[in-house]
Amino acid sequence: MLRILHDTNYDFIRWWKVMAAITVAFILLGLGSLAVKPPNYSIEFTGGTLMQLTFTQPPDVGEIRSALDDAGIHGAEIQQFGTNRDFTVRAQDPKQVAAQASGASNIANVIEGVLKKKFGEDGVKVGRREAVGPRVGQELKRGAIIAILLSFLITLVYLSIRFEWRFAAAAVIATSHDVFTTIAFLKLMHLEISLTVVAGLLTVLGYSLNDTIIIFDRVRENLRKGRKETLYETLNRSINETLPRSVLTHATTFAATLALLLFAGEVIRPFAWVMAFGIVTGTFSSMYVAAPVLLWIERKWPRKTGARQSSSTATPTSRTRRSPATATR
Amino acid sequence: MSLKWRIAIIFGLIAASFWALFPRTAVERVKRNGEFVYDTVRRVPLKLGLDLQGGMHLALTVDESKGAVPDKEKAIDNALKVVRNRIDEFGVAEPLVQKAGNDRIIVELPGIDDPIRAQDVVQKSAFLEFQITDETQALEKALPRIDAALKDAKVTVATATPAATADTNKAGLQSLFTADTSKKADSTKKDSTAATGTVGGPGAFSKLLQQGQMPGEYYVAQTDVGTVTQYLALPQVAAVLPPGKVVRWSSDTVSLGNRVYRRLYVLDAKPIITGEYLTDAKPNTSPTEGNIVEFTMNNEGARRFRAETGRHVKDFMAIVLDQRVMGQPPVIQNAIGARGQITMGGKDLQAAQDLALVLRAGSLPVPLKVEDLTQIGASLGKDSIHAGITAGIIAVVLVVVIMLGYYRFSGALAVAALALYILYTLAALAGFGAVLTLPGLAGFVLSIGIAVDANVLIFERIREELAHGKTVRTAIDEGFRHAMSAIVDSNVSTALTAAVLYQYGTGPVRGFAVTLLAGIAASMITAIFVVRTFYMIWLNRSREAQTSLSI
Repeated sequence: MLRILHDTNYDFIRWWKVMAAITVAFILLGLGSLAVKPPNYSIEFTGGTLMQLTFTQPPDVGEIRSALDDAGIHGAEIQQFGTNRDFTVRAQDPKQVAAQASGASNIANVIEGVLKKKFGEDGVKVGRREAVGPRVGQELKRGAIIAILLSFLITLVYLSIRFEWRFAAAAVIATSHDVFTTIAFLKLMHLEISLTVVAGLLTVLGYSLNDTIIIFDRVRENLRKGRKETLYETLNRSINETLPRSVLTHATTFAATLALLLFAGEVIRPFAWVMAFGIVTGTFSSMYVAAPVLLWIERKWPRKTGARQSSSTATPTSRTRRSPATATR
Repeated sequence: MSLKWRIAIIFGLIAASFWALFPRTAVERVKRNGEFVYDTVRRVPLKLGLDLQGGMHLALTVDESKGAVPDKEKAIDNALKVVRNRIDEFGVAEPLVQKAGNDRIIVELPGIDDPIRAQDVVQKSAFLEFQITDETQALEKALPRIDAALKDAKVTVATATPAATADTNKAGLQSLFTADTSKKADSTKKDSTAATGTVGGPGAFSKLLQQGQMPGEYYVAQTDVGTVTQYLALPQVAAVLPPGKVVRWSSDTVSLGNRVYRRLYVLDAKPIITGEYLTDAKPNTSPTEGNIVEFTMNNEGARRFRAETGRHVKDFMAIVLDQRVMGQPPVIQNAIGARGQITMGGKDLQAAQDLALVLRAGSLPVPLKVEDLTQIGASLGKDSIHAGITAGIIAVVLVVVIMLGYYRFSGALAVAALALYILYTLAALAGFGAVLTLPGLAGFVLSIGIAVDANVLIFERIREELAHGKTVRTAIDEGFRHAMSAIVDSNVSTALTAAVLYQYGTGPVRGFAVTLLAGIAASMITAIFVVRTFYMIWLNRSREAQTSLSI
């Protein structure tokens, strides 16, 4: 039997202060960088025009730019997208978005026209064109935020029913932490925030929540066993007991993510990056956010039955027996 | 549940999956030699999204830039019917036209290779009006006031900005110095506009106009079209325009000497008749007028038309399509009946065909604008499918290696279950008619990695139970029992998130949510039910196997 990290007894939670400092620093770095420069939103959110072009010959980016400038499309972002013959052109500054509002595809048609003129009718092929009005973007932004908040709310209710509100709150706080770290990651990686990336973010939240639930499920079970130990110890024990599962599942998920990252193409790559980071932040938050927050909540709002014992959960000196009923209420 | 039943259910699901995924014949509209024909095709019934098969997605909404629309929802409902008619006539395999929200129409056209034309057909209002040109010189009388209004407003808007019309919109993007002689390059610059003979004096506005050949007709140099359009759009100018009249551009340009002009018409605001009485429209080519569209009106329309034209004999009648005057207004010789024609002014036969098409399908009750457009080439879609499948295969191989390497025999059971997971998920997607999109494909590949989580949870539990000295049979039972709460809770909460995504997501993200939901259901079935059954078969087959389990 091949075993990884079997029967371990690490005191994971001991390091929570260090870990908290690291993650807060990371989030602040990301948010600080956001304050300096806003994130790259895809045209789905800002409105604008995106063209994915394939040239027969590797073109000179300067030539593409000058062709666009000649057509009055200034400040368009031209990016290589895959091979040196594939490029994307993004025209998304507010002026062009406003100009486009009266007829969304006009700019795309102008871009296609000038590039065909410059590189020949067969010299450039339009693989994809997207033109989005400003209103659609606003609605998507609102939709994404509603989706995240609503999924939190539903999770909170579901976990409150299946566990209890303390667990639910700790899980949701851990998941919100992942929202912030992932946003920081997106910013620091200069990834564009597109709908697909938002879907990736929501997948990360689901994945991280899974991880937290697996550990909390163990905590719930260990509490029922009524061992003579503090919640601190129970949490540590539960993390250790679920460690082999965590390693295996993260390995298979990472394998799938790696396959996406390397083989699924440019469109999917940002999604794969978000997921790769999600595995890290999801694991981290289950151990170092969910668990310490649960301890904190427990100290602040001890359980009604056996309140005296619970209030001292964070101090390892008092070893009290918890009745199974208190854990499941 | 007895083992026999379990096996029967698993095979039943497999059979159902194969049935759901089996290539079947369907009558479809397919494009052959550039023409759409109905044909029976045989294919796997898995619907691909536009991002995978190529095509075009349009979101249309009411264009209120030229005046507010009172009852938007009703207008959209009516517009929906018209758009649907047009798309049906346009000929696309499996088009989708539906209302989204209260004020939006979603049009999806798979496999479209001429996006500009398709968009034109959908968006053209095709609002046909017959209006009499102004006989009262109303504009000339108003010119001093317009000039004064411009002076008061201290207009400095000489450079072209995206104004009211589509043509000037393009011009706004065109650099001023590269303006070529083509029609769309009607960019303007005030400094370069020399007065070309004036109508009413040296005013900013009047100096740009020249009297035309008939009452209510003016010539504007092509280079000044943008400026004039802008002036007319100014609220101060709009306020002093003659009441009861409207100002419309001609659809084409004319050359006089070496200069290109566009005609501007002042028309009676109330049309004598509109296109709503049209029953048929056909493209044709006339030797004298080039491409034309001939139209026929119904009885009521013909009666009105006859009465109105009878009243306006010797007047000039402008045929106005989407606020553009088509050709030069003909003089009404005598009352006209049910038939008439529109000259296309040098445009090609396809333009005449498309115009006839939109006239037949009916005019849009409100102008629509494209709010959102996505067009994906078929080859890009194919590349995406290839890349997605490659990634999927690699993911499967990696996961199989990990599971076999770590769990050996039990891992093999999990791998067999994974194969069923893939089959069930695809079948569920096909069965529910879900659309597979690129993010959905990515989600599916990712789910291959996540799907084994339930197995991992169970196997780790079984290991723990074995370590506690339980027998193989008990350890397996206990392992499944203890892992259950974790599996259920984690999957249900993921499913809830996916449901939210489905509710609030659009297009590709929705496809992603559907794949996620199908995957969760399939992984719970395979990990809990199928693997359990495999263990039961294994336990039943050999007595001595019960003493040790390869896990």
